[in-house]
Amino acid sequence: MLQHLNQTAIKPQRVIIVGAGGFVGSTTLKNLQSKGIETVGVTRQSIDLLKPNAQHALAEYVQQGDALVMVSAIAPCKNSEQLIENLQMMQAVSNVIKDKAAMLSHVVYISSDAVYADDVALATEDSKVQPGSFHGMMHAARELMIKTAAGNIPLAILRPSILFGLADPHNGYGPNRFFRLANQGQKITLFGGGEEQRDNIFIDDVAEVIALALMHRSNGVLNVATGHSHSFKDVADLVVKTAGKAVTVEPTTRQNPVTHRHFDITACRQAFPAFVYTDIAVGLQKVQQQFSGQQ
Amino acid sequence: MSSSTTIGYAGMTHLGINYAVAGAGKGFNIIGYDPNTAVIKQLNAHQAPVIEPGLEEALQQRESFLSFTDQIQRLSSCDVVYIAPDIVTNDNGQSDLTYIKDLINKVIPVLNSEAVLVVLAQVPPGFTRSIDLPAYKKYYQVETLVFGQALIRAEQPERYMVGCAAPSEPLAPKLAQYLQAFNCPILPMLYESAELAKIAINCCLVASVSIANTLGEICENIGANWSEIVPALKLDKRIGPHAYLQAGLGLSGGNLERDLATVVNLANEYGTDQRVIQALRDNSTHRRNWPLKTLFATVLEKNSQAKIAVLGLTYKENTHSLKNSPAIKLLEDIATFDITAYDPVIKTLDPKYSAKLAVTAIDAARDADVLVIMTPWHEFKELNFTILANVMRSKQIIDPFKVLNADKAKQHDFKYFTLGQ
Repeated sequence: MLQHLNQTAIKPQRVIIVGAGGFVGSTTLKNLQSKGIETVGVTRQSIDLLKPNAQHALAEYVQQGDALVMVSAIAPCKNSEQLIENLQMMQAVSNVIKDKAAMLSHVVYISSDAVYADDVALATEDSKVQPGSFHGMMHAARELMIKTAAGNIPLAILRPSILFGLADPHNGYGPNRFFRLANQGQKITLFGGGEEQRDNIFIDDVAEVIALALMHRSNGVLNVATGHSHSFKDVADLVVKTAGKAVTVEPTTRQNPVTHRHFDITACRQAFPAFVYTDIAVGLQKVQQQFSGQQ
Repeated sequence: MSSSTTIGYAGMTHLGINYAVAGAGKGFNIIGYDPNTAVIKQLNAHQAPVIEPGLEEALQQRESFLSFTDQIQRLSSCDVVYIAPDIVTNDNGQSDLTYIKDLINKVIPVLNSEAVLVVLAQVPPGFTRSIDLPAYKKYYQVETLVFGQALIRAEQPERYMVGCAAPSEPLAPKLAQYLQAFNCPILPMLYESAELAKIAINCCLVASVSIANTLGEICENIGANWSEIVPALKLDKRIGPHAYLQAGLGLSGGNLERDLATVVNLANEYGTDQRVIQALRDNSTHRRNWPLKTLFATVLEKNSQAKIAVLGLTYKENTHSLKNSPAIKLLEDIATFDITAYDPVIKTLDPKYSAKLAVTAIDAARDADVLVIMTPWHEFKELNFTILANVMRSKQIIDPFKVLNADKAKQHDFKYFTLGQ
């Protein structure tokens, strides 16, 4: 649940985005700029959060009244080495938040729904945080770190579901991989029959929810998901249809039991009632158009 | 007649008044005490400060057996004194016991040497044993008040559950005489058992409703109709004709929430499993948002400019109260949309809700894309589908409580959404 310190949307005077070179960070940067919000993008090229001077260098950026969005991560976090590195990165950012607490007006952390137990089939913000993966464990630990560092500064923790968009650097099982395969004319191989249902969220929607949280100076936890889950099979078929390619979608022998993840997004409705998530078919069309435009 | 026995009720609450009047109906002398002078004046004028069918008539007819007083000393003539105040609960569903403890401390000094005290209000297990009276002078009796049926249930109880120190010993003679007059089974049990029995009853009721909610929600998704299933369940002897199987919008009012909270707190305190009860609480929270979810899924996700008509604002029909009203919660949640509301008794609304108020239900429905019926006022049953179809922009109705007839709505080409189908 989010509580808004600004009941009506007010543009923040300046937003520092830590991780502005990444998929979510770059989209967020562009979205905030399109709203005329002053932004400072911190990328790995400008500050490597794993370097000893990172804390000092980041602190230099902070001005009175800034909001800070922390989205930088080595993701997906797959092993203990990456876990430790991700925590080190967060340590640097957390120290800056603590040191500059008097100057920061708002902090937003982009976490993940991986913090919930794998068997949570209907997720809400009240679902138990019980990560079953390094990635989830990383975000759960980082949430606690940033929450502790933020103290009295309003902090919005946003937990997006599976993201899709053209700039996604990962090739994980789901719409992004399906999209690339379809456009390369390669067959899409499903795990089992692709029965598992997931909530796939268009990257622009994540950026917009971040903007809304910033403009409302929101405090609390919010899942970022559409409230509609689709099976991987349906998504693959939709991707193929959108791409207009003669690509087959092939099942394999199932290795693991079917699990589903749905979201009850009442808290998002209550926080941002006027915001409407992009339908997956519309989102995939936009991705296809962006892709075709680049060709 | 039993006029030699005098029964006192301390606390002229919904509970106290109805039990007192029921006792008078059996020919016992009843003294009703409450420190609130205004309530006592009302009762002495045969006016009921609470609404229950038949209550005012009974106050009048039984006046020779009833006396009401704001003087606590009058209880000294009683053989049995029932303690029946309201117990308020906080937001976590926990009871505030300050008032009942004060009341008991005031009653004890005026009890005569033969009299016994019976706690009738709902208290957590362990409360009665902790009262500073010898065991033979204190009892706990489970109340089974149901608003709207309070007097009839007090007059015709299904059974009495009486908490005492030694269930195998006879009850105090005057208490036994009083309870036997109602001709129902009397079940003596330990104080703690009786205190938990009331909670157990409520847990069973909530469990039934939660089952109805859970399966009703599945019905909504697979094309089944929960209301077709309910009669079949009620014909099963193990479930029964009076089972609570109506899908709803979660718990409200505070009493059931309090009992669930008590069980969870006890389980946590003693390290016993409370997950089932926690699931009942979670289901209640989940179901509360049904109108909002349905509104988004059917209309607002597709049309953010949609005009919404909300019929009914009070928390239930036949009241002016907006407290804890699901309709008001909905207005808050959809404040940014274009809303026109109508309620038969609410004629002004706090401007913070942004909803416009119409003077009739049809006026509210005019040009609306969806009609949401949030309080089952009787007059909404009379809504004419032909007129609605003429005035509304889109023919969609969200009617959680089935105020309207689903088949008729569909005959008039309305998209109709209700709980459980």
